[in-house]
Amino acid sequence: MEFVLKSADHWEAGCIAQADAPLTRHTLDLFIADIREFFLSNELKRDLIALLPRLRRFARSLTRSATEADDLVQEACLRALSRHDQWDPTQPLDRWMFRITRNLWISEIRKRQVRLGQGQVDAEDATELVSPETGEDTLAARELRRHIEALPEDLSAILLTVSVEGYSYAEAAELFDIPIGTVMSRIHRARKSLAQLIAEPVGAKT
Amino acid sequence: MTEYDEKLSAFLDGELSEDEARDIERALASDPGLQEKLESLMAADTLAKNAFADMLTDQVPVELAAAIQDAPVSSPANTPRAPTAAGWLAAAAAVVALMVGGAAGYFTGVSQNTQVAAAPGWLDDIADYHRVYASQSRHLVEVGADEADHIETWLSNSVGSQVRIPDLSDEGLTFQGARLLVAAGKPVAQLMYTDGDARVVALCQIQTDTPRPDFGQRTINAFDMVVWGARNANFVIVGDEGRGDLDAIAQSAAAQV
Repeated sequence: MEFVLKSADHWEAGCIAQADAPLTRHTLDLFIADIREFFLSNELKRDLIALLPRLRRFARSLTRSATEADDLVQEACLRALSRHDQWDPTQPLDRWMFRITRNLWISEIRKRQVRLGQGQVDAEDATELVSPETGEDTLAARELRRHIEALPEDLSAILLTVSVEGYSYAEAAELFDIPIGTVMSRIHRARKSLAQLIAEPVGAKT
Repeated sequence: MTEYDEKLSAFLDGELSEDEARDIERALASDPGLQEKLESLMAADTLAKNAFADMLTDQVPVELAAAIQDAPVSSPANTPRAPTAAGWLAAAAAVVALMVGGAAGYFTGVSQNTQVAAAPGWLDDIADYHRVYASQSRHLVEVGADEADHIETWLSNSVGSQVRIPDLSDEGLTFQGARLLVAAGKPVAQLMYTDGDARVVALCQIQTDTPRPDFGQRTINAFDMVVWGARNANFVIVGDEGRGDLDAIAQSAAAQV
């Protein structure tokens, strides 16, 4: 009994397949599985590209820099594609991508800490805005964006995930690897900071 | 009232227990100052939502989308790995389906123990996959369209038949890159194209001493195929079932390969 496929003609015979020619059919199935995988990964690419605006927004809230955000998003997408077999298509792609993005950002921060030989200021202690922009006397959308992006580490990202992306505190705690109580206090600090901005525009402070 | 301060946000987000929420509601009813705080938090939240929504309108850099579109999808090259897990799983599933389901005609009178008997062919093919892929350290999975010349040389040498990348742009197809497959123990060149809707059409080529004399059409597993032979090879164009233009694509490819 010989089961080894020896000739290209068998493969070709599979292409013009007869249902009763399983020897060639299973080889053909291999070949089709390969094509199908290409189709699936192509779908993942399409979905990732569709997700880019939200991914960039999330990355920007983490990095607070447009350039770094795009680098981070690209790295996260390439990571996802290289691990596309780990993606469970029944789970929301956005949540998987936010997690990958956040994890990459954390490891980037750690690398920088090693390079600079210093630690990151904890968000709880970082009460100052990172780069408060001033000069506008009205609360223009642009100024508000600057203010949100300037919120200390994680505050704007946590606000985004909970207030806009619909994460519960528990889900945000898991994503950012912090206690639920910390999520609550950071959300509150973010909103309070913005509320102060409404009451007392940044430009008016100086 | 500072004890309620932090809870106001959690109250807004619906993250308080019923008891805590009732406490806050009671306090709000009797404390205009607290109510004002809640309102300013709500206003801040609305502003934040608007600002975050505004960020979605930012132009996505073309280079970013292109980098994703052009990215290799499997593990990085140089990692000795045969086809991806998904490929293996689908193939394994196909074999299981063969063993359990159909193939009655094939196995009838051949073997009393079809499940055992089916294994060697499968394993041999696995070995074939591995043997060919392992020798392709640089081109393990995929080579991009930007290395077209290299693809032609590499696949021609691997397949044993001159591989040419046909220009199918008249058919609305853009060449994306190539892969080397193994089928029936032989290397197969697989050229990947996508159309305007990002649907994939593949042109595969396998060396044979007895090429098909004519064109043939088949539909297998939700894919349409057009098969033909030329020179010392057989070719097949594969695409979505029912796309209707595979014949034209095959004719165009056949004129160029």
